[in-house]
Amino acid sequence: MNHQPETFADQVRAIPGGEHLEMCYSCGTCVSKCLIQQKVEPEYNPRRLLRMVMMDMREEAFQSPTTWLCSACDLCYPACPQQIHISGVIGAIKQLAIEAGYESPLETVTVDESLCSGCGICVLACPYEAPHLVEKEIAGEMDRVSEVDANKCMGCGICVAACPLGAIARKGVSNEEIVRQIKVKRQKKGVPRLVTFVCDWCLRADDDVSLLESYPDNVRVIHIPCSGRIDPQMALLALRSGIDGVLVCGCAPGECHYKRGTYVSSCKITLLNRMFEQMSIGDGRVRFVQIGTQDRGRIRREVDAMLEYLAAWKEAR
Amino acid sequence: MVDAARHPKVDVRTYTEVERVEGYVGNFKVLLREKSRYVRTDRCNGCGECAKVCPIEVPNYFELNLAPRKAIDVAMSQSVPLIYNIDLDACIHCYKCVEACGKLEAIDFSIEDKLVWEDIGAIVVATGFSHFDPSVMPEYGYGRYPNVITAMEMERLNNSAGPTAGNLIRPSDGTNPKRLAIINCVGSRDKRFNPWCSNFCCMYAIKNAILVKQAYPDMDVTIYYMDIRTPSKGYEEFYDRAREMGIHFIQGRPSLITEDPETHNLFVHSEDVALGHVIEREYDMVMLNQAAVPQPDVDTVSSVLNITQSPGGWFMEYHPKLRPMDSPTDGVFLAGACQGQKDIPASVAQGSAAAARAGRVLHADEWEIEPVVAVVWEDRCVSAKGKKCGLCAKACPYNAIEYEQGKAAHVVTAKCHGCGGCVAECPHNAITQMHFTDAQILAQIHALLAEKPEEKILAFRCHWCSYGGADLAGVSHFEYSSNERGLRVMCSARMDADFIYEAFRLGAGAVLYSGCHPQDCHYITGQRVGASRAERLLKAFEKMEMTPGRFRVEWISAAEGDKYARVINEMQAVLDSIPKEKLMEEIERLRPEMERRARRLREVPQVEEALGYSRQLEAAMVGKEA
Repeated sequence: MNHQPETFADQVRAIPGGEHLEMCYSCGTCVSKCLIQQKVEPEYNPRRLLRMVMMDMREEAFQSPTTWLCSACDLCYPACPQQIHISGVIGAIKQLAIEAGYESPLETVTVDESLCSGCGICVLACPYEAPHLVEKEIAGEMDRVSEVDANKCMGCGICVAACPLGAIARKGVSNEEIVRQIKVKRQKKGVPRLVTFVCDWCLRADDDVSLLESYPDNVRVIHIPCSGRIDPQMALLALRSGIDGVLVCGCAPGECHYKRGTYVSSCKITLLNRMFEQMSIGDGRVRFVQIGTQDRGRIRREVDAMLEYLAAWKEAR
Repeated sequence: MVDAARHPKVDVRTYTEVERVEGYVGNFKVLLREKSRYVRTDRCNGCGECAKVCPIEVPNYFELNLAPRKAIDVAMSQSVPLIYNIDLDACIHCYKCVEACGKLEAIDFSIEDKLVWEDIGAIVVATGFSHFDPSVMPEYGYGRYPNVITAMEMERLNNSAGPTAGNLIRPSDGTNPKRLAIINCVGSRDKRFNPWCSNFCCMYAIKNAILVKQAYPDMDVTIYYMDIRTPSKGYEEFYDRAREMGIHFIQGRPSLITEDPETHNLFVHSEDVALGHVIEREYDMVMLNQAAVPQPDVDTVSSVLNITQSPGGWFMEYHPKLRPMDSPTDGVFLAGACQGQKDIPASVAQGSAAAARAGRVLHADEWEIEPVVAVVWEDRCVSAKGKKCGLCAKACPYNAIEYEQGKAAHVVTAKCHGCGGCVAECPHNAITQMHFTDAQILAQIHALLAEKPEEKILAFRCHWCSYGGADLAGVSHFEYSSNERGLRVMCSARMDADFIYEAFRLGAGAVLYSGCHPQDCHYITGQRVGASRAERLLKAFEKMEMTPGRFRVEWISAAEGDKYARVINEMQAVLDSIPKEKLMEEIERLRPEMERRARRLREVPQVEEALGYSRQLEAAMVGKEA
């Protein structure tokens, strides 16, 4: 019966996940629930992207940073009063954009094909199904290596940590760059030294971020995109190079910006601590804290408690 | 309230619950439970000496638990009647109150609940509404952050008779807040909780903001809103006044409140929709404007009074536009927010209208109803012969049929609205509807299909919607096939399957089964009864391999004249598309089956006999009523 030409909104709705976008009444809940505008891109705005779709602004929507930056963490979905699955809608727009020949502007991971053994661990680790194994001719021989779909990769670095051969890297958070930050100069004796790995998304309030920066040199802060980027070897390396404790801060369960990064890292730290236990190495020196969206000011308590514990531990030794 | 209590013709029963309601308009019998106060109402003079000596303090629900009250107390100081009441769950039986009461001897722990039956002519339901509990929304932290309060708590804090004597203080430290945020639409316009707009919260957000701003002119007052809805007279001007006073309005629904654990200050995270940017602002106190929701015991009240509920649990009105103060049960009226979220002026208007409607009942010696009521032929009802049935009682949307196995079904005439659902549902033709008897409708079907029935489209129309639609099609000069023959019944529920079979037995070319859209039904659930029957018919005809389109079901409102004309023309097109010989062959093929199915209809008492029954019944009814 409907002879109207298919609109952009119809195309989005036709893709599973893209339904109900017409229900948005622009309350802005999704925008303020999401941390991307606050932390990364001032132009990021899911509400406006949905509006662009409704107003048939195809090119603008495809070029909008919102289309590409959404990591489908789904913090906004349970908060939306109209129950719109916003990340599903954005995913549908992204799919149309890729079909139209647009490419993700994000910094993504790269695979060093000379190192990759084709084991496929990265394929299992990635929350976005970005890497996959391909047969390829390398140095004159056919070989099986991992290839990353740049349009799917969100740059969380979970695969970088997972790769047993160090074949995957992402600019800014490659293994070398993080190791370089761990190796800090020795401070005066008696003061405990602490390395804090902080995920980019768990600290919502600006004062919490600036508070971390205000600690003296014995508290080294290393920013990583996701707590899933943490590699247990980094903690071991830190301890070996004379650092007293390692604190990893990630998001609360269910609030991870990269779907399951916080789950991966909590498993890693739990296993590491179990190993320490078996080796009778003092426990409590590597800790994982999960900071929720409403845990304002908690980071101060956690760092202070850790420093206190390490001071006591040093004293006892 | 005091005036009402003093009025010689007003009997105020407080602390009393309605347990059961029987009877019908003008003749209700109501069972009341007068709950025991453990204080004699005839002796207590409200002096309050008992409360002074009572050693037990419990949270004061009237002050929203912001202050204590005694185990013997009145709900509030303006209570009418001013009679004290013992909270027996908290009382430790020290009997200090008995001593304090002294010679009055008003306190009596042996008083029990009293059950009394009262004769009532009309009932007005004004049970009001309740508030959404925001503690189920973790993002706003109500219940965890001390300085997040609800609008009702703000009402008490701001009230000069309230627990702080009108001094607005922060629960965390007792200081006056300097920055106050008000958040609208907490739990309303939110599909996770209540989809509706709660109607009056925008106005009381502005009211509270203005009150606070008048008392503390330096305070930064901000209202977070999605849309400000100020639709009544003077409301928009009030909103303007708030803006002129310097109250901030930020369009954007906050997604999160965080708290500074040391100062207990609150940070409201929201998008400023006008700017398109996320803002985080610090406040000393946040007030949540909760949604209006139905009372928690709405299900009990609706089953006691036999009032249906709209989606969400509000009481259903008879008609949303024309009779918003009537419930579907005659003699029961609705006033105020129990029928739907509304503000004070609207509640007063509805209350006055309901009182006037109730007065109409009370002042009438006789109550006129439509004469199209259902009547039972007791000698035909199988229940009278001890068989299990009760289909008529199930079909009745008004609970007007009393069914008991072993006795013939009985129609309470005063409750019957005349939809005819029971008549069509009765498998034994033991009920008929005055003026729409089976014999009358049968005669119409025969007359309409007397000549060239295979060319005719027999249209069953319901009185309120599709008949009006057909009428509008005529008045508007929409052309439709002249082969259409219309037949009016009160509701699609009356369209007996046997009528359809009989029409096809007589060789009708096509039959239209039409009524109201489900939400427009004049008889609450009548359309649903008709619609489920139509479903069964469609399936049966499909099995019989009848050409699709010869039997059609359409819901057409009185405003859809164009649709009525279109449907009839489409049916005519279906008839035209079937070659004549093929149609005649199909009619002949189906005739034995239709004959078998419509057999029962031809067993109903025919005109003479039916008239005899009607005369008997009329005589019996007049005799009974007189």
